Amino acid sequence: MPAGSFAVLVGPSGCGKSTLLRTANRLVVPTTGRVTLDSVDVASLEPTQLRRSIGYAIQAVGLFPHMTVSRNVAVVPELLGWTRDEIAVRVDELLALVDLDPTRYRDRYPRELSGGEAQRVGVARAIAARPRLLLMDEPFGAVDAIVRTSLQDELLRIARSLATTVLFVTHDVDEALRLADRLVVMREGRIVREGTPVAVLEDPQDGYVRDLFGDDETRAFRLQRARRALPA
Amino acid sequence: MTLTRAHALGLIGAAALLPSCSGGNGNTIRIGSKNFTEEYAIAEIYAQALEAKGFKVDRSKFDLGSTQIAMAALQRGDIDLYPEYTGTGLLDVLHLPAMRDANAIYTTVRDAFQKQYHLTWLTPSPMNDSQALATTKAIAAKYGIATLSELSTLAPQLRLATIPEFTSRADGLPGLQNFYGGFKFKSVKVYDIGLKYDALLQGSADIATAFTTDGAIVADDLVIVTDDRHLWPAYNVAPVVRDDVLAEHPQIATILNAVSPLITDVAARQMNFAIEHDKADPADVAAKFLKAHAL
Amino acid sequence: MNYLFSHLDRVAQLGGAHLLLVAVALVLATAIALPLGVVAARSNRIQTPLLGVLGAIYTIPSLALLAVLVTWIGLGFATVLIALVAYGQFVLVRNIAAGIRAVPPAAVDAARGLGFSSQQRLRQIELPLALPAILGGLRIAAVSMIAIATLAAYVGAGGLGTLIFEGLAFHQPQRILAGSVCAMLLAVVIDALFRLAEKRATRYRVAA
Repeated sequence: MPAGSFAVLVGPSGCGKSTLLRTANRLVVPTTGRVTLDSVDVASLEPTQLRRSIGYAIQAVGLFPHMTVSRNVAVVPELLGWTRDEIAVRVDELLALVDLDPTRYRDRYPRELSGGEAQRVGVARAIAARPRLLLMDEPFGAVDAIVRTSLQDELLRIARSLATTVLFVTHDVDEALRLADRLVVMREGRIVREGTPVAVLEDPQDGYVRDLFGDDETRAFRLQRARRALPA
Repeated sequence: MTLTRAHALGLIGAAALLPSCSGGNGNTIRIGSKNFTEEYAIAEIYAQALEAKGFKVDRSKFDLGSTQIAMAALQRGDIDLYPEYTGTGLLDVLHLPAMRDANAIYTTVRDAFQKQYHLTWLTPSPMNDSQALATTKAIAAKYGIATLSELSTLAPQLRLATIPEFTSRADGLPGLQNFYGGFKFKSVKVYDIGLKYDALLQGSADIATAFTTDGAIVADDLVIVTDDRHLWPAYNVAPVVRDDVLAEHPQIATILNAVSPLITDVAARQMNFAIEHDKADPADVAAKFLKAHAL
Repeated sequence: MNYLFSHLDRVAQLGGAHLLLVAVALVLATAIALPLGVVAARSNRIQTPLLGVLGAIYTIPSLALLAVLVTWIGLGFATVLIALVAYGQFVLVRNIAAGIRAVPPAAVDAARGLGFSSQQRLRQIELPLALPAILGGLRIAAVSMIAIATLAAYVGAGGLGTLIFEGLAFHQPQRILAGSVCAMLLAVVIDALFRLAEKRATRYRVAA
């Protein structure tokens, strides 16, 4: 996967996309095969060091309920030993980046956040230490459709501005088509099709992939929208 | 966690130091006592008698919870001596069968403790805190009851107030009936241990189970019916001392052997009465006792 | 209450000894229960037999346990300390394990994924989140230790039980009252302090 790309793993639940994602930061150790990062086998890296260099955001968010928003966002910089001042500046910067007013949100506890706000904090926490790679496992799965769209927009904006490589897992094909510049379709633990959204929609190459994107009419509509979204 | 490791270590250190503060050698004698009135009073008598002759006494082990604990402490050397009863030594420590003769009990425990535990029984007191039956002076006079032999045949005219276990224990009512014969009371009423004398005094019973040194006997004009054929083993009290302590301080034997003969049933009743009814402190009661005997 | 006020020095000294005993026992018991609780939380195969054994210890009659300990350890502080620590384990280990098991799995997954080492995860995430349950266990253990510590008097370790057993022996209810009122007061105060701590430890749950 080229650096700076936004890759989305898509497929039905249980197809192994989360597992594949979790091999990247060694939460899951592959029984066969290798995972390389900048052509270094991750198996050769110390797991905690590796994970601190990779952003991680999940559907359940997993904010630490006993920590304020700012402490949640600061965990990885703290693990990496940043100074207090560096961390304070970075936290405010990140909250602003995910569109949360630092003065209003800094000292709140996760309990006091809406689902969408919590997920923004989760994203801020994941990118706090400027990771080269950001792993996201259905991060917007638990928020309603309107909030989800705005979160997707922001994520795209952030990912482009940071030039971070993103590996994103979803079972929602519209979300996948909307975010991906590189789409990876999975089925029963295998990658069955890989390419840009437009390329995959134009030529699914496989009955399973074709059906995943709906009947002919729906697929045509989705292809049209994907083409329109391409930068001019 | 709010408790830091340093705090924890500090406290553990404090805990480790504490027991070593109380150990004492030299001229300090560590006296133990089981936690009932008579033991406290007698342990105090021993303590003050020794103090009068220049010993220091450590009283920090005066509340021992049971014979088992007191004996373990004495054997380990956590205490140097404590008052024990010959009957308790025979039945509860040595687990030997009951004996009728007070002197036989004493010599048996003395010899066995010496041999098995290297502990010395000093001279026992005449005081015998044994099971007994009691009645009022008036009833004793009316029926002419002085001994259990006499009472055994008069029982059908009399009502017994007792505590639950007495009716079933082998050394309770069944023991009386087997050993003396008779003892078919007109009625047997079971009371809480604190209320049996009240039943006697209020006239709802004529005879009550008792212990020979109960303070209530002084207070309420009660008399003990003599166990003339010695059904119940003797519970004479004596200081039990570690051999090594006695070897180092042989005067302990001389001092306590002079005191023990003075502790009679009557003296024990008076002391129990003073503590339990007059709310006196065992130390004051013991001091008064020793003063009365010019010790 | 006459005895209490006329012998304030003695009551205070016995109360102090009582409190020291319970405090040391609680610290030691927690130091032992923490690793046990963590291990129990990680594995059902350990938790079930461990809690079984600790529960069995919890049901041994105190006087019997003290009598046995006296033959090994002797009279005094250490014997009662061991008994109190042993009795405390069941409640403490159970609560620590339950507290850790109740930590939201998402928080654990996030902590792992963000690069906490297992030690850091335990200290910064799991134990703080289990703290209310742990404090609850400490509270129950402390209060029951205050009660059991009255038996310290049985083995010559002093404490407020001295007054209670003297009072029982001498038929002097004032001593019983002085001893039990102080023990009760101690229990009420300790209970309140731990409740306060629990409340503080859960502030994030109710923050408005």
